[in-house]
Amino acid sequence: MAGIPELKSEWIWGVLIVAFLIPAVNPLGVDFPDSPITNEIYDLIENLPEGSLIVMGGSGVIAFDIESSPGMIACVRQMERLGYKLVTCPLGSETPQYHKFIIDSAKVDVSAGGSWVYGEDYALLPYLPGGTAALVAYLEDFKGTVSVDMRGIPISELPIFDDFNNYEDIDIWICPHWGFVTIIRICTGEYGLTAISFAQSTAYAFFSPYMQAYPGQVYMTNGYLGGAQYERLNDMKGLGHMVQDSYTIVSVLIAGFIVLGNVTMVMKGEEEE
Amino acid sequence: MSATSTYVRTYLTRIVVVVAAVATLAGYYFAYEPISTVSNELNIWSSLITSFTLFVGLISVFARYSRSVMNRDNNWPFHLYCLAMIVVWIIWGNMIGMYSTLYQTLYMSTKITLHITIIGQLIFFSVSGMYRTFRIKSLRTAVFAFFTVLIVFLNMPPLIAPFPALSTAAYWLLDNPQMAAARAMVMCGGIGGVILGIRILLGIEKGALRVTGGD
Amino acid sequence: MISTDPWIWLSALLSLSCFSLLYGDNKFFRWAETTYTAAVVGHSVVTGLLTLRDRLYPLYTGTNLLLIIPAILGVLSLLVVWRQYAWMASVSMAVLIGVNTGISIRTLMGTDIIGNTRAVIGEASTIVAADASMMTKFGYLIRVVFTITALLYFLFTIFPRKGTAATAFDVIRDVGKYALIIYMGISLGNSMQQFVGTATSAIYRLTGLWLGLG
Repeated sequence: MAGIPELKSEWIWGVLIVAFLIPAVNPLGVDFPDSPITNEIYDLIENLPEGSLIVMGGSGVIAFDIESSPGMIACVRQMERLGYKLVTCPLGSETPQYHKFIIDSAKVDVSAGGSWVYGEDYALLPYLPGGTAALVAYLEDFKGTVSVDMRGIPISELPIFDDFNNYEDIDIWICPHWGFVTIIRICTGEYGLTAISFAQSTAYAFFSPYMQAYPGQVYMTNGYLGGAQYERLNDMKGLGHMVQDSYTIVSVLIAGFIVLGNVTMVMKGEEEE
Repeated sequence: MSATSTYVRTYLTRIVVVVAAVATLAGYYFAYEPISTVSNELNIWSSLITSFTLFVGLISVFARYSRSVMNRDNNWPFHLYCLAMIVVWIIWGNMIGMYSTLYQTLYMSTKITLHITIIGQLIFFSVSGMYRTFRIKSLRTAVFAFFTVLIVFLNMPPLIAPFPALSTAAYWLLDNPQMAAARAMVMCGGIGGVILGIRILLGIEKGALRVTGGD
Repeated sequence: MISTDPWIWLSALLSLSCFSLLYGDNKFFRWAETTYTAAVVGHSVVTGLLTLRDRLYPLYTGTNLLLIIPAILGVLSLLVVWRQYAWMASVSMAVLIGVNTGISIRTLMGTDIIGNTRAVIGEASTIVAADASMMTKFGYLIRVVFTITALLYFLFTIFPRKGTAATAFDVIRDVGKYALIIYMGISLGNSMQQFVGTATSAIYRLTGLWLGLG
C-alpha cells in the first residue's frame, strides 16, 4: 500500500485558513448547551441587592483577556439592567484600556444609549502599579491609594466613591483577566470577597484548584463557550457565538490531522519492514 | 567603592528587605493600628516605585536601537522607524490624552491588533505541531493525545448541544482529574514560593538584588 | 462593503503583515514587529507619565508629603539599566522585594498550601459521606488520589530502591506521572478554545470589519 507523504506545515496552515474563512464569511450559528456553573454565576449576580457595588479588576493583557470579553460585556449589560454600580481596579498597564473597551462595547453609558451616568453609576480608574501590593492597598484604604479617576478628576468629586472606603464596601469582585490567581489569593483568601472570573480556557485549567479550594466564593466560566453561554443568558450575540462556529470546524481538523499523522507513521513503519 | 560603603550598602538593602517583609506580614497577622499603617504605607510606596519601571523599556530600547542605527546593523532602518514612532507616540499620546477615544482607537488598531494576531497564529503552529508530535509510540503519548482530543471534542457545540451529558463530562474531567494534578502543582509552587521568601528574608537568596550589585 | 475607516485599514494591513510570517520572515513582518515594539514602549511611557501624575497627586496637594521618599527611590530605580550606577537602585529594589516577599509568603501559605490542603481533606471526607452521588464520590476519589500521587511524584526525589516499599513507590509515582500527563492533555485540549478564538478575532478584523463580509 502506498505510504502517505508527510504533510508540509504550509499545507496544514492553508487548510486551517480555509476553515476559519468559511464561518467568517458564512456564519453557521451552531447551537450549544448551558452549563450549571454559568447559570450559577448569572443567578448570583441577578440576586444581588439593588445598588450593589461591583469591582471589575485585575491584571492582564488585552490579547489574552479578549477571551473574557464576551462574558464580561454581557455581565456589564446585566449590571446596568439591575441598577448596580461598577468601579474598576486596573492592575496592569493596558488594563485601563481593556476596561474602557468593555464599557464602550457594552454601550451602557448614556452617550451610547444606555442608562449609566459616569461618576454616579460607574467609574474608570487609572493604572495602579505595584501588583499585589497595590491590590492590598486598594482593599485596605481605597481613598488613600487612589486620588483621581482615569480622566484626572479627584475621586472626592465623584458620587460613586462617597461610600467606598475599603473592601467591606465591595459586594463582588469580577476579574476578566489572566491574573485571577492574585485576586483569589488576596480578595477571597484574605478579605473573604466573592470572586468571579470569565476565565480564559488556558487559565481555567490552572485556576480550577482555587475554585475547589473556595467553594461558594470563587466561580469561573470556561473560555469562549462560557462567554457564549453568558451572552445568550443576556440575549446577546457577540464574539463568543462567533468563536463557536470556527471552533466546530477547527476541532474536527485537529483530530483529523492527529489521526493522519499516526496513519502516516504506521504506514512508514510498514514500508520500512 | 570602599569596603565600608560596600558593607553598608549590602547590609542596608538586607535590612530594608527584612523590615519591609516583616512589616507586611505583621500588618496582616497582628491587629495593631500602627503596624497596619506602616504596612499600608509601604504598599503605597511599593506601588509608586513600580510606576517608574514603566520607563525602563524606553531606556533599554533607545540604548539598543540607537547603537544599531549608528553602527548600521541588520534591520537598522526598522530600528530608526521604531525610535521615531516611539517619540511621535509619546508626544501625541500626551497631547490627546491616554484615555481619549482617539488614543484608544490608535492603541486597539496597532498594538492590540498585532498582539491578537500573534497569539492567533499559535493555532496554526499548534495544529502542525500536533500533527508531527502526537505520534503514538508509547502509553504516555497515547494517554496525552487521547485526553487532548477528547476534551477538544467535548467542547464542540454540535456534539454537546444534542448530548448535554457530554458537556457535563467535559466539566467532570476539568474539575476532577485535571484539577487534582493542577492542585498538586499549585501546592508545590506554594511550598517553593514560601521557601524562596524565607531564603530572601534570611539573606541566602540574592536573586534580583544581584543585578544592582546589592549583595 | 469594504470599510473606509483609515484605522480599520491600518489594522488590516498590520494583521496581514503579521500573518505573512506563516509564509516566511519578510520586511512586512519586520515592519509589523517594530510597530508593535514602538506601540508597547510608547504606551508604557505615556502610562508612566500619567500614573506618576496620579500617584504623586497627594504630594502636589500636600496631603502626604512622605511620598517624596518613594519618588526619589523610584527615580533611583531607573539607574538599574546602567551597570556602573546600578548599585544606586539597591534600596528601591529592596523595598519592592521586601513588600512582595511578605505578601507572597502570607498569600501562598494561606491559599495555595493551606487552602488546597483543606480542600483535599474535605473531599476525602466526602468520599465516605452517605448523601453524595456515586459519580460525585468517584470524582472526589480521583481528586484525592491524583493530588497525593502527583505531589509524591514532585516532592519525593529520594525513595526506596529495593523491596515491597520500592514497588509501592513505583506504582504511586507512576499514577502521579499519569495524573500529570492527563492534566497536560486536558489543559492543552481546553486551551484550543483560546487559540481558535483569538485567530477568529484576528480574521474577523479582516473579513468582517475590513472587507464587510459575513
